[in-house]
Amino acid sequence: MMLNMAETKADLTADASNSSNNNVSSQPNNPLSRKLHKILETRLDNDKEMLEALKSLSVFFTENSLRTRRNLRGDIERRSLSINEEFVRIFKDVKEELESVHEDVQAMSSCCEEMTNRLKAAKEQTQDLIVKTNKLQGENHRLEVRAQVAQAFLSKFQLSAAEMATLRSARDGPITEDFFRALNRVKNIHEDVKVLLRTNQQTAGLEIMEQMAVLQETAYEQLYRWAQNECRGLTQETCDIPPVLSQAMESLQDRPVLYKYTLDEFGTARRSAVVRGFIDALTRGGPGGTPRPIEMHSHDPMRYVGDMLAWLHQATASEKEHLEALLKQVTVQGVEENMQEVVGHITEGVCRPLKVRIEQVIIAEPGAVLLYKLSNLLKFYHHTISGIMGTSVSSLLMTMDEMHMLSKKMFFNSLSLHASRLMDKVELPPPDLGPTASLTQTLSLLREVLASHDSSVLPLDARQADFAQVLSCILDPLLQLCTVSASNLGTADMATYMVNSLYMMKTTLALFEFTDKRLEMLEFQIEAHLDTLINEQASFVLTRAALSHIYSCVQQHTADQGPLANLPGMDSTSLKTAMVQFDRYLASPDTLVMPQLNFLLSAAIKEQIFRQSTELVCGAYAEVYKAVTNPTNTYKDAESVLHRSPQQVQALLS
Amino acid sequence: MATAPYNYSYIFKYIIIGDMGVGKSCLLHQFTEKKFMADCPHTIGVEFGTRIMEVSGQKIKLQIWDTAGQERFRAVTRSYYRGAAGALMVYDITRRSTYNHLGSWLTDARNLTNPNTVIILIGNKADLEAQRDVTYEEAKQFAEENGLLFLEASAKTGENVEDAFLEAAKKIYQNIQDGSLDLNAAESGVQHKPSAPQGGRLTSETQPQREGCGC
Repeated sequence: MMLNMAETKADLTADASNSSNNNVSSQPNNPLSRKLHKILETRLDNDKEMLEALKSLSVFFTENSLRTRRNLRGDIERRSLSINEEFVRIFKDVKEELESVHEDVQAMSSCCEEMTNRLKAAKEQTQDLIVKTNKLQGENHRLEVRAQVAQAFLSKFQLSAAEMATLRSARDGPITEDFFRALNRVKNIHEDVKVLLRTNQQTAGLEIMEQMAVLQETAYEQLYRWAQNECRGLTQETCDIPPVLSQAMESLQDRPVLYKYTLDEFGTARRSAVVRGFIDALTRGGPGGTPRPIEMHSHDPMRYVGDMLAWLHQATASEKEHLEALLKQVTVQGVEENMQEVVGHITEGVCRPLKVRIEQVIIAEPGAVLLYKLSNLLKFYHHTISGIMGTSVSSLLMTMDEMHMLSKKMFFNSLSLHASRLMDKVELPPPDLGPTASLTQTLSLLREVLASHDSSVLPLDARQADFAQVLSCILDPLLQLCTVSASNLGTADMATYMVNSLYMMKTTLALFEFTDKRLEMLEFQIEAHLDTLINEQASFVLTRAALSHIYSCVQQHTADQGPLANLPGMDSTSLKTAMVQFDRYLASPDTLVMPQLNFLLSAAIKEQIFRQSTELVCGAYAEVYKAVTNPTNTYKDAESVLHRSPQQVQALLS
Repeated sequence: MATAPYNYSYIFKYIIIGDMGVGKSCLLHQFTEKKFMADCPHTIGVEFGTRIMEVSGQKIKLQIWDTAGQERFRAVTRSYYRGAAGALMVYDITRRSTYNHLGSWLTDARNLTNPNTVIILIGNKADLEAQRDVTYEEAKQFAEENGLLFLEASAKTGENVEDAFLEAAKKIYQNIQDGSLDLNAAESGVQHKPSAPQGGRLTSETQPQREGCGC
């Protein structure tokens, strides 16, 4: 059909164009031509709608007859109608569905509305309740916060029940670590609470402070009672200082009065322990008899006193250690002084028994040397124990010092007594002009004293102090004694005796330290007497060698006496005779020795005297020779008178 | 844990004796301070030091008295022997004379101390091997003959110093254990603490207080 139409159209078009070429403008308004033109102008290819319509037409238009062409319109309309009917039908389902949905939704909506209404009603009813509940919850929360704050406050500023119990139980039971912790808490709270006073919580602050202060005092009191009791119990020789007690002392240091009283208790307890220990050591000694009780040696003063003092030294050291353990946690100033004081207090108890015994020893007159040794021993121990007790003034040190002074005093007394006894019985010098018995005795006493001085346990400077006093106490009376007893002797005898005695003193002293000054003095004195002896010996020789008269004439010769040769006994003959004797002397000078010289104890001194006196003799001869050979003295042939020259004489006598 | 125990359960008293210059003070100083005193002055009289050591699980405090060796202090130092639990007798291995004098020191020690006192012989200055004058063997024999413990030590290097004090302490402790040392005696040289640590309270061991005897 399409083809046909297309062909027709093409024909028509061709025809039309032919014709139109001819009469295009001639019949434009002809409806038929207009239609023809229109149809001819339709461009089917470009008209999409037309193409679609034709496509759907070809679906049902299968037969192309006249009838069908005529019925086409009706068919198409019928088809269109049926399509619409179907559409309506289908759409009706949809509508129904939609309506049912709409109903459901409607039902839901009304349901909701109902619920809402109900809720609204309920809400209004329960409004009150809710409000109330919220309010209560809020309050609950607030109260909880408050409770927390209160709890924190309490735990910071109050003691827990356990702590309170601990503090209270101190009354009955032993003090433990917990007590100190609780006490520390109390102190801390007391401190912390001061913060409150700066805020406006003053009442609470003050109340708590007061409460804590009361608690503190009570706690301290209980602590003190307990510590005091503990200290009272420390009366055995073995002293146990439990760590709790040290801690208690550390706490108590905040209450100086209680602290001091507790220390006093301790001191008193230890004091009786030390006294008991001392007495035991004195009287009982060790197990099975060794070591023996100290008193077994009371016959040996040095051992006895030494043992007692050594025991005390050891006890003092031990007590100091106990104290150090007791106070090791104490940090307050002046602990060291405290300790020294307490040790002094502790050792006070033994002073009496010690003093009594030492006095007994001293008063029993053990002799000068022993007294001297005792006094040194006491000084030594005073020094040693001071090392432990420090500079504090303690009874023990004072007692020891007293005993030292007593002993020293008795020693000097003894020396003085000895000296005065010496003076009372003045002995005559023995026939050998040697030292008397008194002198020897006294010197041996001196030797003993000096020996013990040298080996003294005291340090050097302490030793030197006594020394001068000791020496003067002995030596001065001795010198006096010698001088007095020599007073009735002849010159040579006296000098010999003095030299001997002084020589003995010198040799005794020379062995010991610090004696230089005295030695010097003695030396001078010896020299003085030596001079005497030298002169005596010289005179002795001159007399026996017949030069005495001659020499004195020469010495005393003055010009107005005239020439020497004219003086009586000075003529050549007399001189010659004298020379004979002198010659004899020159031959053996050793025969002319004063008997006293043989009594000299010191060979060196004797030698010296001999030598120096011989020199004097030479000198005398030289003078005589000079005088004789002097022409004014009118000696004829002087050489034959004095046939020895002074040089010869010198040579012969040396 | 219960209340802390005491620092020590026993106190042993020691005495160190011997000739002058053998090194007694240096031994003590090395033991208590762990240092060597090169320029040690001569001891005047008596000095003492303490130290706590452990013996057989027990803590023992040693109270050590160091005596002067100089002859002039002999009388003084004799008084300190009483009540010593242990004695260290020291000689110098480089000086024969100090070894030869041991006889007299030993006599003193035996006369003046407890029969149970433990005596230990110490040959000091063991570091000076080149100048040795006393052999180990002969000293050992001497010690054995006299029933003494024996050690060679050096206060300078510290060799055997601890052991010296320790060996003596062990022997003393053993004596206590087997009953030959009576702790209740005042002069045994050993002071004993109650064995069970208390909570600060003394037990009924507290003796009745006696007033100080005012003889």
